[in-house]
Amino acid sequence: MTDTVRLIIDGVVHQVPKGANLVDAAKMVGNDIPVFCYHPKLAPVGMCRMCLVELGQAGIDKDTGAFQLDDKGQPAIRWQPRLATACTTVVTDGMAIKTTTPQVTEARDDIVEFLLTSHPLDCPVCDKGGECPLQNLTMRHGPGESRFLYEEKQHLAKHYPLGDLIYLDRERCIQCARCTRFQEELVGDAVLAFHERGRRLQIVTTSNPPFDTYFSGNTTDICPVGALTTADFRFGARPWELTGVPSICPHCPVGCNVSASTRLDRESGGKIVVKRIMPRQNESVNEIWICDKGRFGHHHSRHGERLTQPLIRQGGKLVPATWDQALALIAEKISAADGDVGAIAGGMVSNEDLWELRQVVENAHGGKDHKSLGVYPYRLSGAEWVAKVGLSKGSNFGQMGKGTTIVVIASDLSEEAPIWYLRVKNAADRGAHLITLNARPTELDRFAKSKLKISYGGEIAALKSLTEKPEVKDAANVVIFVGGEGLDRAGHATLMQGAASVLTSTGHAGKVNNGLIGVWAGANTQGAFDLGYSSEATESLLNKRPAVLILADADIVAEDAANVSLLAHREGKFTVVSEMFLTATAAQADVVLPRQSFVERDGTVTSGERRVQRFYTAQTPLDGPRPDWKVFAEINRLRTGSKPKLSAAAVMKEITEKIAAYKGLTYAELGKVNKQFPDVGGDDPYYGGTAYENKGGLGVQWPTEADQGKVPSVSMPAVGKARKLESGELLIVPIVELFDRKPAFAASAPLLHSHVPAPYVVLNSGDAKTLNLVDGDKAILSSGGVEGEYTVRVDAAVPAQTALVARNLNLKSPTPAVPMVGSIRKVEVVASHV
Amino acid sequence: MANILLREKDIPGIGQYDTYVQHGGYDGLKKALGMKPDEVIQVVKDSNLRGRGGAGFPTGMKWSFVPKTEGPKYITVNADESEPGTFKDRQILEYNFQQLLEGSLICAYAVQASAVYIYARGEFWDIGPHMEAEIEKARKAGWVGQNIGGSGWGCEVYVHLGAGAYICGEESALLNSIEGKLGQPRVRPPFPAVAGLYARPTVINNVETLANVPQIIVQGAAWFKSIGTEKSPGPKIFCMSGHIEKPGNYEFPLGLTFRQLIEAAGGVRGGKKLKAILPSGASGPLLPATDKVLDTALTYEDVAALGSVLGSASVIILDESTDMVWATLKMARFFKHESCGKCTPCREGTYWLLKRLEAIYAKKATPADVQLIEDVAKQMQGKSLCALGDFATSPVMSALKYWRDEFLAYTQPQKPAPAKAGKDKVVAGGD
Ligand SMILES: Cc1cc2nc3c(=O)[nH]c(=O)nc-3n(C[C@H](O)[C@H](O)[C@H](O)COP(=O)(O)O)c2cc1C
Ligand code: SF4
Ligand code: SF4
Ligand code: SF4
Ligand code: FES
Repeated sequence: MTDTVRLIIDGVVHQVPKGANLVDAAKMVGNDIPVFCYHPKLAPVGMCRMCLVELGQAGIDKDTGAFQLDDKGQPAIRWQPRLATACTTVVTDGMAIKTTTPQVTEARDDIVEFLLTSHPLDCPVCDKGGECPLQNLTMRHGPGESRFLYEEKQHLAKHYPLGDLIYLDRERCIQCARCTRFQEELVGDAVLAFHERGRRLQIVTTSNPPFDTYFSGNTTDICPVGALTTADFRFGARPWELTGVPSICPHCPVGCNVSASTRLDRESGGKIVVKRIMPRQNESVNEIWICDKGRFGHHHSRHGERLTQPLIRQGGKLVPATWDQALALIAEKISAADGDVGAIAGGMVSNEDLWELRQVVENAHGGKDHKSLGVYPYRLSGAEWVAKVGLSKGSNFGQMGKGTTIVVIASDLSEEAPIWYLRVKNAADRGAHLITLNARPTELDRFAKSKLKISYGGEIAALKSLTEKPEVKDAANVVIFVGGEGLDRAGHATLMQGAASVLTSTGHAGKVNNGLIGVWAGANTQGAFDLGYSSEATESLLNKRPAVLILADADIVAEDAANVSLLAHREGKFTVVSEMFLTATAAQADVVLPRQSFVERDGTVTSGERRVQRFYTAQTPLDGPRPDWKVFAEINRLRTGSKPKLSAAAVMKEITEKIAAYKGLTYAELGKVNKQFPDVGGDDPYYGGTAYENKGGLGVQWPTEADQGKVPSVSMPAVGKARKLESGELLIVPIVELFDRKPAFAASAPLLHSHVPAPYVVLNSGDAKTLNLVDGDKAILSSGGVEGEYTVRVDAAVPAQTALVARNLNLKSPTPAVPMVGSIRKVEVVASHV
Repeated sequence: MANILLREKDIPGIGQYDTYVQHGGYDGLKKALGMKPDEVIQVVKDSNLRGRGGAGFPTGMKWSFVPKTEGPKYITVNADESEPGTFKDRQILEYNFQQLLEGSLICAYAVQASAVYIYARGEFWDIGPHMEAEIEKARKAGWVGQNIGGSGWGCEVYVHLGAGAYICGEESALLNSIEGKLGQPRVRPPFPAVAGLYARPTVINNVETLANVPQIIVQGAAWFKSIGTEKSPGPKIFCMSGHIEKPGNYEFPLGLTFRQLIEAAGGVRGGKKLKAILPSGASGPLLPATDKVLDTALTYEDVAALGSVLGSASVIILDESTDMVWATLKMARFFKHESCGKCTPCREGTYWLLKRLEAIYAKKATPADVQLIEDVAKQMQGKSLCALGDFATSPVMSALKYWRDEFLAYTQPQKPAPAKAGKDKVVAGGD
């Protein structure tokens, strides 16, 4: 093996990977060298000095490559006089270390003692206590008694807000710079820094607003002490009271693996309650990171406004009903509809739910047709291209670097899928060639080797030009992310085809670390496509609504005001809505069914990388709401007398039998875990931090046709006609803000409310001038007969005759989900209210 | 013998470009430009010039580590001069700047660097305009900028003022500081010769080191080696301070004894008895005034044999009136103040040492505390990221080695009651 070298640890020869540092190398062969500043995801800095070892080099016979031996027949080793930091030392063949000698043990004791001279050791009241690297290493190496006088300790701020989400305890900080390096190296936003020097060295934020990033929570995981805590969980529970339940983040298509820390909670009436959401290691998905939306966005599950009872419309009002009444009514209406039944499912409806809902619709259609199954929102399409040439099975952004070209078109990944942003950025740092193709600047542009500015409508032409680029043509690997910004459903379908064409025509389909990713809107949009749902169906269902329309987690009114009248027209129509909250859509329903939240039940979702992943029941469910799959199965039983399945696992089993791509993806298979590197979550939190070990399964990516050797030939679609705008008209382009006001998020995290901007519209400076609008003005945007008030932001980098409008910020006057032509006018202040 | 480094003593105004040129200035660079870069390095290697910044590293060898790759390479002149008792570089910058500039340019030519950064401590702000004016004169004369002396090779020279941190004299912290980053040392490898300033190959030399170079090129390696001793050749500026009659800079060939040096500086102040010597500011161990010490030659190897270091040869004289506890405390305070805080042993150790030394000096400590500071200092040794952590231990370790009694005399057998209960001292938090 040429990829490994010989490393002698305490006299034993091991084979370890070439190029690894000593900490990682030792770890791989079971020797835990304690660390504080080193973190396997960050470049070593050698600051804390905890990892000191004796270092030497064995003599190697040049001809044979064998070790030269001493008179005892052992490898002859020249030892260096000084201890060396293992984290900054890269192994070379024949390197030798000692990790158990008195000199090394004493050095570790010494460093811990030094750290404790400044540290308060207030473990009894510290959030990290129980899973704290410093606490653990103090138990192992700390002096029994302090030689440092308590009166001489520095007393510093203990609740210093680094931002409104993260608090810093300056006494506990051991100046390891993990937090600053995380922000600088991995996120690319150096919003934290050291201030002062010596014993006064401390962490400060350098941004305004403070600690301005979507990833702040991760710093609390990798902080090796309790210096950084989240405003959300601080003093919330003790780690040893918590049970980690594997789950999947419900907020975006990345499908981050999370662990819900739960406990029997007295404040919640003795129920099992999720106290916090932590990252769960999945090196192929989110590694050990999650974004702040995922971390803080779980409170909706216990929100006081959750629906707990079915509601039935009577006399124009929704009144509480029993499940039996509600389901019987629905079954009756479906039976009466004579096949005119359709369903639309939103982004966080599990595969099991989707499957049972599909049975409802198919049964109504005499057991066949499923053309009446729509996904929501429906501006993205072209999933068939993913099925053909999607990101190949086994691909991993963590392994992409030099030789790989990553293209991001019509998407702002930092807002739409933060962890994809993070992983793409880091692949670019490792040498991947990043190309961004957008009509406006996005965060990822900072790391792109080429930023190609396109016009809305110019996407296909831009893709076409890619096929000629050497960075695409000659790249070893090509991955293309296709977003939907500025596109309607048809436009997106065409763009997906175009991307598939780039991949196939340049020979980049069907190989690991190659393929197409649709930047879908929801955590399980991919699953919906896989199970036969489509955007085309949504479009036709909304154009010609069926007699019975079932909406599961599809807040169609909030995203398009035109739908109010669609639902409000009740003559011979019947609308069933399954929701957690009384949304604008639910308010128009004939029957409202209370859904369960993701932590109250189990199931599977399929990420944008086609990874089917399990989530488990974490929290005692509210009394009342039921999982959708059960509800839909019950409707089927009422209608057809079919025997409902007893568990989500059983539903999934049926899916694996009926859906070819899901063959074999049983719960048992999805729950499997292989050893991952870095090895986090074990007894040594000092190594990886408090990201959790994966015990719930790594999930399985289903293979594309190209993966199975069937690479289609895909033609490049023709460049469409450019949209013509009259003067005075604007193209209203909906864009995505990560922190928005969708109920499942907004109800979730009051903590983040101040991070959700007021509804805004971004205009090109030229347009603003013509319209006599300046930054901060209020303006009315009208399109499709709907008006809404927005704060104006002026940005020279936005294309002319374009108005960017962030979606889901203004639920009262909804923003269109697809681009529309509209106009804007200034709000004239008529009278000032005092 | 004429001064080689402190030439303004013999030739007033030598620091001005015109005067410098009248006295053979830029002959060295001219000659070097007629040689191959490698030949220049070889001459410096042969001269056995050792770095005057403290570590005494062979200068020619340092230059030879720079890879011959394409792309920018840099020279940084270390003019941070922050070691207590060190004030030699300042005199060169103020009064013999052209010689330093010429030396830096020869170095730049030898490694084919495209820019020289002169990093001067912030307190040298008043010398900044002088340096820049002199650089402009040299530029006008064609020694700075493009196509120097018609050689086709070009080099820029920049003056960069620090913000007043001892640690920024440490070469890698210096590089960070120039780059606008926090002045903290970097881990090595990579070494600056491979990845230094802006991750490009970089040579870092002390002001005095480079000021030697023009004459080495003009007069040859053999000439240089004829000065001083075999292992420590060349002239050296000795900064004399403390309890000495005539403090100031003195240039001598390396190899004269402490006794000779003290005599040359007028002897111990007020005819008092000598008690101790700090041969290298605060960072080298103290030496007691024994005959053995006094008769030791001031060379890198001889001072090392005494258990101390020649370092930058900033010799601080302490007479019999000196309270060694006080002196140690002062140095501990310096290191606590200057520790950058990047690594644990130094950041915490310097703080701890200071706290206990203050207690001892305030007569609020026991003999156990004297032992404790020795233990803490030992515990720091060999574990820090940069040399400052070890420097910080040397006053304590050496003072305890020779004057332990003085420390014990400050202590009380019983532990005095702590001043106040810890609780009262808690400072309000940030919220
Ligand atoms: C804490 C610390 C401070 C230092 N300060 C200086 C300084 O002020 N000037 C200097 O030339 N070298 C200083 N050095 C030494 C430099 O790191 C470096 O070795 C020197 O500049 C190399 O130049 P030379 O080879 O010409 O001696 C310092 C080293 C340390 C560890
Ligand atoms: S806050 Fe935590 S992660 Fe940041 S430097 Fe301090 S101890 Fe390290
Ligand atoms: S990146 Fe997406 S899946 Fe991951 S935590 Fe954030 S919102 Fe959730
Ligand atoms: S030894 Fe001191 S000065 Fe040097 S890196 Fe460590 S803390 Fe900074
Ligand atoms: S110095 Fe190696 S872990 Fe901190």
